[in-house]
Amino acid sequence: MIPRHFQITIGLVLLAILLSGLVVLRLNRREEAMTLRAEAAPAAPQVAGKQERIQVLIAYDDDQALRWRPADVFLPADRGLRVRETLRAVLAQYLQNPSPHPLAKGADIRDVYFIGNDTLLIDTTAQFADGHPSGILLEEMTLASLIETLTANVPGVNKVKFLVEGKERETLAGHADLMSFYQTAAVHELAKEFE
Amino acid sequence: MIDPSHGGYDTGADFGGKLLEKDITLKLARELRKELDDRGIASRLLRDSDVDLALDRRAEITNEQRAGLYIALHAGRPGRGVRVYAPMLSDAQPPAGRFLPWESAQAPALDRSKFAAQAIAAELRKKDLAVSMLGVPLRPLNSIVTSAVAVELAPEGADLQSLDNPRRNSSVASAIASAIAQLRGQTGARP
Repeated sequence: MIPRHFQITIGLVLLAILLSGLVVLRLNRREEAMTLRAEAAPAAPQVAGKQERIQVLIAYDDDQALRWRPADVFLPADRGLRVRETLRAVLAQYLQNPSPHPLAKGADIRDVYFIGNDTLLIDTTAQFADGHPSGILLEEMTLASLIETLTANVPGVNKVKFLVEGKERETLAGHADLMSFYQTAAVHELAKEFE
Repeated sequence: MIDPSHGGYDTGADFGGKLLEKDITLKLARELRKELDDRGIASRLLRDSDVDLALDRRAEITNEQRAGLYIALHAGRPGRGVRVYAPMLSDAQPPAGRFLPWESAQAPALDRSKFAAQAIAAELRKKDLAVSMLGVPLRPLNSIVTSAVAVELAPEGADLQSLDNPRRNSSVASAIASAIAQLRGQTGARP
């Protein structure tokens, strides 16, 4: 026969274990929700500006083609911010559901940096590269659509290079070169082959 | 020099159902080596097992071996048929004396690479395959000093398993080998 006080102690211990488990489970769920919110949040704050209708060059995987279409974007006066918002307008098209050229959630432009007046560094989020579908054509279409949209809307950019989380990366997703600077004139020729 | 792209931890594209780009490229590379052997053309594979090999190392080995032609094999969505790529040098730097810049070492061979890509595309078309040709900035093609091309198998529409179709891939390998034999006859290049 187990003494009554021992039964009560065991009962209390089991209850404590159960309650601790529930607390841990709840904390885990809260952390997951916070992570998801952080991934979905933009890498840089939205900016104020005048709404403008611009043309963006969009990749269509099914047709293996790039096609221009209009987009309404808030564009500030600052040249760097205009570049960033223009590129974001392209990514916004890819992050829709359904998407003509799906990219991973969290794919975004962190910042852009001018070197002189005509050379641009585009810093992307990790999700842009880590979650990008792998394939020569898919990767080249992404880069061509971003660079062509940029040069169509922000004149004077002649060279572009992509960074991921502020660092150089060899390729976008195993294929397209991210180490070199892209001459926008050469990309224009490449994009024409997709149109 | 035949380069079955990816390998080891670098799986390349994942087509689901355990079908990975690195395995498709290795099978195709072995098939191409067999086709070249049948035509009396010596060839080497940059990898003949599931190992990691850095992109720059692939270019280094090809340059060290003084290969006559470098051909990278890939597989990827979307579309159908086969895509043939020639290098595109977006920002070629001028050589510093006898030394070529690593990122644009391909510059002197660019015309020969485009010619090789056209020859391969023409032979693939003879096999009734849908073929498209593009110039793209693709690693490690731009660091290779000899003629360099890439060939990408695309699935037949939504049928991703078609990437592993031995009959289709044998046809592709045969067409590439025929093109290489022609190029060798015209230029005397070693593959």
